[in-house]
Amino acid sequence: MTKGQKAAVYLFLIVISAVCVFPLYWMASSATNNSLDVVRGRMLPGLYLAENFRSILLQQDLFRALINSFRNAIVQTFLAMAVCSVAGYGFEIYHDRAKDALFSVLLLAMMLPFVAIMIPLFRMFSGWHMVNRYMAFVLPSVATPFLIMMFRQAARSFPVEIIEASRVDGLSETGIFLRMFVPTMKATYGAAVTVTFMNSWNSYMWPKVIFQDNNSTTMPMLVANLLGGYTVDYGMLMLGVLICTLPTAIIFFGLQKSFTNGIMGAVKG
Amino acid sequence: MNRKKGLTLQKKKLLTGWFFVIPATAFIFLFSFYPMLQAFILSLHRGVGQNLSWNGFANYTRILKDRVFFQTMRNTFVYLIIQVPIMLLLALILASVLNNRSLRFRGLFRTMIFLPCATSLVSYSMIFRSMFANDGFVNTMLRGVGMAPVGWFQSGTAARAVIIIALVWRWTGYNMVFYLAGMQSIDYALYESAKIDGASVFASFRHITVPLLRPTILMTAIMSISGTLQLFDESVNLTNGGPGRETMTMSHYIYNTSFVQSPNFSYAAAVSVVILVMIAVLSFIQMKVGDKRD
Amino acid sequence: MNRKIAAAVLAGVMAASALAGCGSAGAGGTAPASAAPEDTAAAETEESVAEETAGASADANSLTVWTWDPAFNIYAMKEAEKFYQKDHPDFKLNVVEVLSDDIETKITTAASSGDLSTLPDIFLMQDNSYQKYMTNFPEVFTDLTDSGIDFSKFGEGKRAYSTKDGKNYGVPFDNGAVIAAYRTDYLEQAGLSVDDFTDITWDQYIELGKKVKEATGNPLITSQSGSPDLIMEMLQSCGASLFKEDGTVNIVGNEQLLKALDYYRQMVEAGVLVEVTDWDQYIASIQNGTVSGVVNGCWIIGSITAATDQSGKWAITNMPRLDGVTGAVNYSNNGGSSWAVCTATKNKELAIDFLNGTFGSNVEFYEAILPSSGAIATYLPAGDSDVYSKPQDFFGGDAIYSKIIDFAGKVPSNITGAYYYDARDAVGVALSNVIQSGADLEAELQTAQDTVEFNMGG
Repeated sequence: MTKGQKAAVYLFLIVISAVCVFPLYWMASSATNNSLDVVRGRMLPGLYLAENFRSILLQQDLFRALINSFRNAIVQTFLAMAVCSVAGYGFEIYHDRAKDALFSVLLLAMMLPFVAIMIPLFRMFSGWHMVNRYMAFVLPSVATPFLIMMFRQAARSFPVEIIEASRVDGLSETGIFLRMFVPTMKATYGAAVTVTFMNSWNSYMWPKVIFQDNNSTTMPMLVANLLGGYTVDYGMLMLGVLICTLPTAIIFFGLQKSFTNGIMGAVKG
Repeated sequence: MNRKKGLTLQKKKLLTGWFFVIPATAFIFLFSFYPMLQAFILSLHRGVGQNLSWNGFANYTRILKDRVFFQTMRNTFVYLIIQVPIMLLLALILASVLNNRSLRFRGLFRTMIFLPCATSLVSYSMIFRSMFANDGFVNTMLRGVGMAPVGWFQSGTAARAVIIIALVWRWTGYNMVFYLAGMQSIDYALYESAKIDGASVFASFRHITVPLLRPTILMTAIMSISGTLQLFDESVNLTNGGPGRETMTMSHYIYNTSFVQSPNFSYAAAVSVVILVMIAVLSFIQMKVGDKRD
Repeated sequence: MNRKIAAAVLAGVMAASALAGCGSAGAGGTAPASAAPEDTAAAETEESVAEETAGASADANSLTVWTWDPAFNIYAMKEAEKFYQKDHPDFKLNVVEVLSDDIETKITTAASSGDLSTLPDIFLMQDNSYQKYMTNFPEVFTDLTDSGIDFSKFGEGKRAYSTKDGKNYGVPFDNGAVIAAYRTDYLEQAGLSVDDFTDITWDQYIELGKKVKEATGNPLITSQSGSPDLIMEMLQSCGASLFKEDGTVNIVGNEQLLKALDYYRQMVEAGVLVEVTDWDQYIASIQNGTVSGVVNGCWIIGSITAATDQSGKWAITNMPRLDGVTGAVNYSNNGGSSWAVCTATKNKELAIDFLNGTFGSNVEFYEAILPSSGAIATYLPAGDSDVYSKPQDFFGGDAIYSKIIDFAGKVPSNITGAYYYDARDAVGVALSNVIQSGADLEAELQTAQDTVEFNMGG
C-alpha cells in the first residue's frame, strides 16, 4: 500500500469506529450526569457518577444481578462450547449422508420465533420444578444450530492430512479432536465464546419468564426495572446500562487477539 | 473411551462420529423440537389457555386473510433484501482491512467496531431515536449542509431507513468477528505472494478471501436471513412499528397477538410456523448453492 | 490468555465427552443429561422438596407480592407491610419487583401452561389490562365482592376496570385521573391565567392555545406520535369507548371518536399540539420548557417536578371537555392499576385481610405513603386528610392532591373489554396514518374496525 492508501484506510477506520463508539460514549457520559441534564441533551461528562451509583445501589441489588448474569453466561458458554464444538467436528469430519441430513434438520431449530415455543418450554421446566433455577435458563441454549454450524464450517478448513497422520501415529479419534483440532481452532473458539457469552448475557425474553423472584434477577432485567417506573431517572438508567454493557466489551477486547493468531503457527507449535 | 478390538476402522469411525453429534442432537430435540412440535399442535387449535378446541388448518387459512400479517411480511422482506447484503459486504471489507498485519491499533479498531452489538438495546435505541428526532443530531447536520430536514419517524420509508441503518450499525461488527476468525485458516503467505505477483488489494480480496471464506459467508448469510426474518428488537424499541404499522416486523406482530392484544396463541403459533417455512426455504436454497465440499 | 482459553475449552470438551461417554446425569442439579430427561426430572423433584422458591407463599403468615416501580408501588407495599405488622407482628411480605408487562407475560405463560403454582398471592395489574385477563384467564382472579372491602369508597370509573359481571376482582390503588398542568409563567406572557383553562371545552382550549403560541412560540401540548393516549382520554371523558354494550366494535360511526380525532387534527394544524417521536422526547419537552402545558394521567407529576428549577411555575386544573356531547365532563383517566388476589394463594383470608386493612380502608396509611413517593390514592376518604390538603409549593401553593382525588371521583366509567388493546392499537394506527401521511379518516377508521373484528374472529 502507498502512504496515501494507508492514510485513507486509517481515515475510514477512524470514521467507522467513531460512529460505532458514539452511543457508548454518550452512555458513559450520561452515567455521570443527573437525569435532568441527560434529558436536556448534555453531552459532556458531569459530576453525578457517585450519586447515580448510590441511587442504583439503594434501589436495586446490583451485585446480585451481576453475579447471576456472570454465572448464567459462564456456565452456558462453557457447556455450549463443549457440546457444540464436539458436534460440529463430528458432523464434518465423520460426515455421511445420514449426518448431513440430520444437520439440516437441526438447523430448523433456529428458525421458529421464540415466542412460539416459550409456553411449551415453560410448561416443561415448571413440570420439573425448575422455575427460578439458573439451569432452566442455561439448558435450552446449550446446543444451538448456529454454534454447531460455526464449528462444522471451521472443521471444513481443518487439514485432513493432520487427521490421517495422527491416526497413523496411533492417536485415538477423541485424542485427535482434543490434541489436534481444539488447539488449532483457537480463533473459532475465541469468536464462539464471545458471541455465546454476549447472547447469554443480553438474553431477556426467556429469563423474564423463567425467573420469578428477586434473587434470580439478571442485568438486563435490572436495566428494564430502571425503566419501569412512572418517573425515570435517566442518569441512573444510563449507569445501569453502562455496567450492563462493559463485561461483553471487556471479554471481546481480551479475546480478540485469539481470532487473529494464524492457524498455521498453532499447528506447528 | 476404549473400544473393543475387532471393530473395523470404518465402523469405529462411524460410531465415534455418532458419539460426537448425539449430545447436541439430544439437547436440540428436547429443548427445541419437542416445544416446536407442541407449538405446531397448538396451531391446529383455537381458544385460550386450557380451553382449546380442534380447529384443523383454519388458523393457516386465516393468515391468508390477515392484512396486518402481509404488511409486516412486506416490511420484513424490505429489511432482508436491503440490509443483509450491505451489512455482510461491509463486514467482509472491514474484516479484510483489519486482517492486514501491517496495520497498527488493529485490536482497538476491532473492539470499537464490535462494540455496537455489545451495547445494550436500551441505550442504543434511546440514542437512535434522539439522533433521528425532528430536531435531533441528523436533522441539524442536514440543515447545516443546506438540505431539508427529514421527519424520520413520520413516513414509512424514512422510518424503515432508520431501522436499516440501525441494523447495519449494530450487526456489522458481529459478522466481522466470524470473518476474522475464518480468515485465520487462510494461509497469510497466500496474500504475501499475491502481493509479490503484483495483485491489487481488490484482486486478493476477490480471488483469495471470498472463495476461501465461502463456508463462513454461507453461515453468516443463513444466520442473517434467519435473524432478519425473526427481527423483533428494532421494530419494538426504535419505532414501535410506526408510523402506523409501516415498520412492524412479523415477530413483533406475533408478540402482539400473544401478549399485547387479547391473547391468541394458536394463531401466533400458526404465523410462527409460516415464518419457519420461509426461513427454511431460503436457507435450503443457500445450502444448495453454497454448501459444497471440495 | 490464549493458553488459558484453550485449557478451559479443552476441559469443557472433556467434560462433554465424559458425559456423552457414560450418558448419565451430572451431579447436583446441573444435570445436562441430554439423553435422559426423565432422570433429570426425577433428580429435580427430589431436590425441590428441600427448596421451593417459586410462587405463592407456603408459610401461613407471609405473602408474596409482584409489583413494579421501587419509588412508588414497591414503596407503598413495604409501608403497607409495616402498617399491617402493628396488629400482626408475625406477618411478613415478600415483595418481588416485576415490571407490569412482565407480570402480564408471566400470568399468560403460567395460565396457558395450566400451572398457576408459580404465581404470587397478590399482584398489581394495569387497569386497562384487567378485562382482558379476567376474560381470558378467569381462573387466576379471586372474587373479592363479599370480602368485606368497601368498594363504594373508590371512584366509580376506577372501580369499573376491575369489575366483571357485577363482581369485584381488584382493590383499586394507583391513581390515573387526568390532570391538565400549565406553565403559569408562559400563560402570563399571553395575558392568561390557569383560571382561563378551568372547566373549558376543547374549542376554547384551541383558541387559548393559539394565543399562548403567539406570545411564547411554544405549543400548548405535546404528544407522542402514534400514541392514542389523548384520544382515549377524550373518549372516556364522555363515558364513550371503542366497544358497544354488547361487546361489538364501535369505531366506524362513533361520533365521540370522530370528534376527538377531529380536535386532534385541528390542534396539529394550528400548531397548538406538536407531535414528538417518543416518550423520552415527550418528557424532554416538559422538562426543557418547550411546551406550555401537559394533559395526562396524574402520575406525570413525578416527571414535572423532577425539573426542580421550574418550581412555582406550574399549576394544575381539570382537562378540557368535548363540546356538544351529552355526558361530556372535564374528567378522565389514563393509566392506574389495582391489586388482585391470585386464586393460587394458600392464604386467601390473610391476603384479603391485609389488603382490606391497608389499601382498602386505612387513611393513615395513605397519608404515610404520599409525601415521599407521591403515590396518589384512589381511596376517596383520603382526599379530605391533612396530608392530602397540604399546599404544594411547586404548584404555586395549591393543594393538588385533594384536587386530584376529587377529579378521580368524577371520572365516568367506560367499557374496556378483552379487546381493549386491539382496538386502541388500531385507533393509534389510524391516527398516525391520518396525521402523518394525510390518509383519509373514514377509510382509516374502517380499516381499524376491520382489524379489530378480524382479531375477534380468531
